[in-house]
Amino acid sequence: MFAFVLRRLAVAIPTLLLLIVFSFTLMHLAPGGPFTGERALPPQVLANLEAQYGLNDPLWLQIWNYLVGIVLHFDFGPSFVYPDRTVNQLIAAGFPVTLTYGALSFAAAVIFGVSLGAIAAIRHNSWVDYLAVGVSIGAQVLPNFVMAPLLVLVFTLWYGLLPGGGWSFDDPSFWIMPVIALATSYMASIARITRSSMLEVLGSNHIRTARAKGMPEHRVILRHALKPAMLPVISYLGPVFVSMITGSVVIDIYFSTGGIGKAFVDSALNRDYAVMMGVTILVGALTILFNLIVDVLYAWIDPKIRY
Amino acid sequence: MVIDQSKMQSLSDRLVQDEVKGRSPWADARRRFWKNKAAMTGLTILVLVVIFAIIGGRFAQWSNEELDFSVMGQVAQMGQPSLENGHYFGTDNLGRDLYARVVQGTQVSLMVGVVGAAIAVVVGTLYGATAGYVGGRTDQLMMRTVDILMSIPYMFVLILLLVMFGRSMSMLFLGIGLISWLDMSRIVRGQTLSLKNREFIEAARATGVPAWRIIIRHIVPNLLGVVAVYATLLVPLMILTESFISFLGLGVQEPLTSWGALISEGAGTMNYGTLWQLLFPLFFFVITLFGFFFVGDGLRDALDPKER
Amino acid sequence: MTRFLASTALAALLAFPAHAVQPAEGETLAENQTYTYWLLDAIKSLDPAKNTDVEGSDALRQLFEGLLIEDAQGNMIPGVAESHEVSEDGLTYTFHLRDANWSNGDPVTAGDFVYAWQRVVKPETASEYAWYMELMNIANASEIIAGEMEPDQLGVRAIDDKTLEVTLTEPTPYFLSTLSHTTAYPVPQSVVEEHGDAWVQPENIVGNGAYTLASHNLGVDIVFEKNPEYWDADNVIMQTVRGVTVNDNNVALTRYQAGELDRVQIPAGQYPRLEQESPEEATSVPYGCSYAYIFNLSEKGPEVLKDNRVREAMALSLNRDVIVDQILQGGQEPAYTWVHWAINGFAAPEGGMAEMTQEERNERARELLAEAGYGPDNPVRLSLQYNTDENHRLLAIAAQQFWRPLGIEIELNNVEWKVHTDRLQNQDFEVARYAWCADYNEASTFLDWFRTDGYNSGKWSNEEYDQLLAQAATADDTTPIYQRAEAILDEENPAVFVYHYAKVDMINPAIKGLPRENLRNTWYAKDIYRTAE
Repeated sequence: MFAFVLRRLAVAIPTLLLLIVFSFTLMHLAPGGPFTGERALPPQVLANLEAQYGLNDPLWLQIWNYLVGIVLHFDFGPSFVYPDRTVNQLIAAGFPVTLTYGALSFAAAVIFGVSLGAIAAIRHNSWVDYLAVGVSIGAQVLPNFVMAPLLVLVFTLWYGLLPGGGWSFDDPSFWIMPVIALATSYMASIARITRSSMLEVLGSNHIRTARAKGMPEHRVILRHALKPAMLPVISYLGPVFVSMITGSVVIDIYFSTGGIGKAFVDSALNRDYAVMMGVTILVGALTILFNLIVDVLYAWIDPKIRY
Repeated sequence: MVIDQSKMQSLSDRLVQDEVKGRSPWADARRRFWKNKAAMTGLTILVLVVIFAIIGGRFAQWSNEELDFSVMGQVAQMGQPSLENGHYFGTDNLGRDLYARVVQGTQVSLMVGVVGAAIAVVVGTLYGATAGYVGGRTDQLMMRTVDILMSIPYMFVLILLLVMFGRSMSMLFLGIGLISWLDMSRIVRGQTLSLKNREFIEAARATGVPAWRIIIRHIVPNLLGVVAVYATLLVPLMILTESFISFLGLGVQEPLTSWGALISEGAGTMNYGTLWQLLFPLFFFVITLFGFFFVGDGLRDALDPKER
Repeated sequence: MTRFLASTALAALLAFPAHAVQPAEGETLAENQTYTYWLLDAIKSLDPAKNTDVEGSDALRQLFEGLLIEDAQGNMIPGVAESHEVSEDGLTYTFHLRDANWSNGDPVTAGDFVYAWQRVVKPETASEYAWYMELMNIANASEIIAGEMEPDQLGVRAIDDKTLEVTLTEPTPYFLSTLSHTTAYPVPQSVVEEHGDAWVQPENIVGNGAYTLASHNLGVDIVFEKNPEYWDADNVIMQTVRGVTVNDNNVALTRYQAGELDRVQIPAGQYPRLEQESPEEATSVPYGCSYAYIFNLSEKGPEVLKDNRVREAMALSLNRDVIVDQILQGGQEPAYTWVHWAINGFAAPEGGMAEMTQEERNERARELLAEAGYGPDNPVRLSLQYNTDENHRLLAIAAQQFWRPLGIEIELNNVEWKVHTDRLQNQDFEVARYAWCADYNEASTFLDWFRTDGYNSGKWSNEEYDQLLAQAATADDTTPIYQRAEAILDEENPAVFVYHYAKVDMINPAIKGLPRENLRNTWYAKDIYRTAE
């Protein structure tokens, strides 16, 4: 197990390097630069800017300097488009926001999804089951760029219950709509997966044995059915995490939360090389870490798996 | 929205077993599939949507790009769905016929979904089959590469690609297809590993058939069950991805459109009294995704029945 | 505005002391003096030398104050400079500064302006707006930007703490109106040097404007509080100003309707409905930008566009009335000139396509195309490039449909902003959407664009045109010169002018004092106040 974790971590470093070189090159090959604007800059001004940010060095040297900055000083460089701030500052401001509503959405999706799916499976073929299946199928395919403006319309304009956007770490009323918009479709997916795997487990021999022994139903479910039924859910958590980060772009755009999802899309469109690289590395590292955690969790729940 | 990998694994294991017992899983599966109500409903929906995409355009009274000047500028009052002026689904904000646009958007979205899924399946199958069949160092290397690629945030790369190469259909196909062959390749590899030592493969190898031919002629056909199910479940994911790309404004070029583009336009104006601009494309989008899910799930359950 | 501007403006300065905000008769001030406005995007920089966009300028105008500021009509009125004199030759301006303080209590001195302006042109600052000092024609600005001279040779000098002398390279009629721009603001030397790039963060920033920065949450909101050190603080009513970022215009409107914002832009096509539902809130005022489709006439451009008949046919047959009345619907004006119609002292030339009906224009366009050998059977094929934006998309689709019946087949090419501008500047396009906004309120701000050495992405070139604009810089009466220049544009069609902008907003009726006649929509929070319901 320990060796497995070590091996995975060892692979993480070349992976990140590959990601950095690939994105850096792609970014610099794209037409336009960070200072391409409505008015063409006088060549001298452009030269001053490029000298300032080291953009006139050969590409390999730029990548090298960039890597050295990260490794030696953990410095992701200055932002080209937000000259008042460094990439470290931008990420330090945006990431906690994304992390907060992301973690809440993740928790909400898992808790409600598993509960909904489990209840549907236990009450198989009852109205609860049909309702749960219906809701989860519907919620699964409603794009969050439809859901987000709809939420603002309903909760802010029509009922005046929640602020229509913005962010505050102190006031949970700002968190509710982002979490609903982000969590719903994953909650639905998790409910579906839980339901079908739970049904399978409930029909298996060891549950029949447990029931035959006269064990009370709630103990059967809690002690024997839930844990094995969670396996497919857990393997699904890695992808959920990744697509939640992607989905956070929509949240940031509609709810002005100031998270890193929007920062990434903007940096790619604005050619803000440094911010784009910073966010890509951050998300890449998180993805690797999260996939690792999921694998460890999986092994812990399912002792049959050996690494 | 992600494919349930554990079920795919179980399906794959089961198909290999059937091979051992020497009977085709297909005959039984077909019977089970026809009996599955949800799957049949899904199939019916899909057939209808495809028919709509192919011949729906014949019933349109307007093209998907001409502007109806009598409606333009007062879309909320004049542009609602109407049989009289030939705008069955109403018009968009410019007075273009929404019916014609939905038909055309359906074509694009289905195409992106199917072609994207096809690319993913072809690449994933060939890659996985090669790794599994060749084995040894090559296999190690190929699968480590997959591990590495797994941890790249793909949506980000896709955005970069579209930013860099400009938006075009082919880029969209390629970009969307290339982001989802990884899981496929893992499953195929596993299945290939268990197929590889069968008599019929060894016989082929003994008679000197080259490796690539064995892969194409003997390994791949035996993977069809998994591939078919996977492809069916991938299509809706591709359609969803495309809708997200369209939302970011990186989708197909005007006057062409797609469900994602139409829905995102409609969602923007949902409070301006032109709700039909959202509801019609959303309806087709939703029922099609349902259709694919039901058919995909049905196929899988048919090939891998649990209550044996 | 003519070259008399300098002397007339001077007279104005002496005649009218700084005006104070006064609620009108019968208005009661609200208890809660806050104003919340909409920002489309995050503010990129709060450094006057590095700001490049409208959102940043709106914020900086509250935090800093230049030599002159603008009143509700866009006229220049005293800011930090109480008065000024111009030398006979029009090359030297002397400004007398009032007693004003920075928000940390230090006095604002002429040296602060000298430091700030030198900082803009210094190559190490790498200011994207360094060219603005060239636009102002400040002596030696170009040489310093090019690194050929030292920054201290810039034509700006502190005679004493309260007297600033500016030397220009040539008489510049519009010079005074450049002074309210953020690039020309003073900055506090000690603070900049102490904190480096971070000097504009809320905990460090020191300004001389009517407001101080309370907080700046990038991409979420920015909050300003009244600055007690401001020289005219007694007359400032508004206490708190808040800019809120909402990236989606439609959601921003929803939030305005929910009462979260006091001002928001109206999305294309929604003005008539909102005007009917809430006439007190929906406003449309002229805004100094012009929209055009530029033809690429450079060597890289398509051969067919070198034929003026084709260009003229395209210019004629674009139905601008449909575009402004049925698509944009917000009080924009159809454009047949490059200069915005509301620019001071500008009059469109007589004749030309502006006076024809659309039928006549289409008829003429068909004839011209036929002469050139094109028509529906043998169409002209071109691509039209535009950057990703809802309005550009709608207009491009409409343009395609207007041109098609005549035999001009347009392929739409939507690219994102950076690619668009990059291709424009490298002449990698055929026809491209473009817009230009006035830097100052005079026709040359537009017309200079088409000079052979102007920005002129399409590389059109006309000797007479260049000469006319050179003359205009020193002419007494510029109106006939500018008319002739526009007439040349009308004959030669280097671009299709599409429409003149309007600023179309929902504004909370309780908010008073926002300028409605300022063509550049320059607003100062110190001039506005909130009335009680």
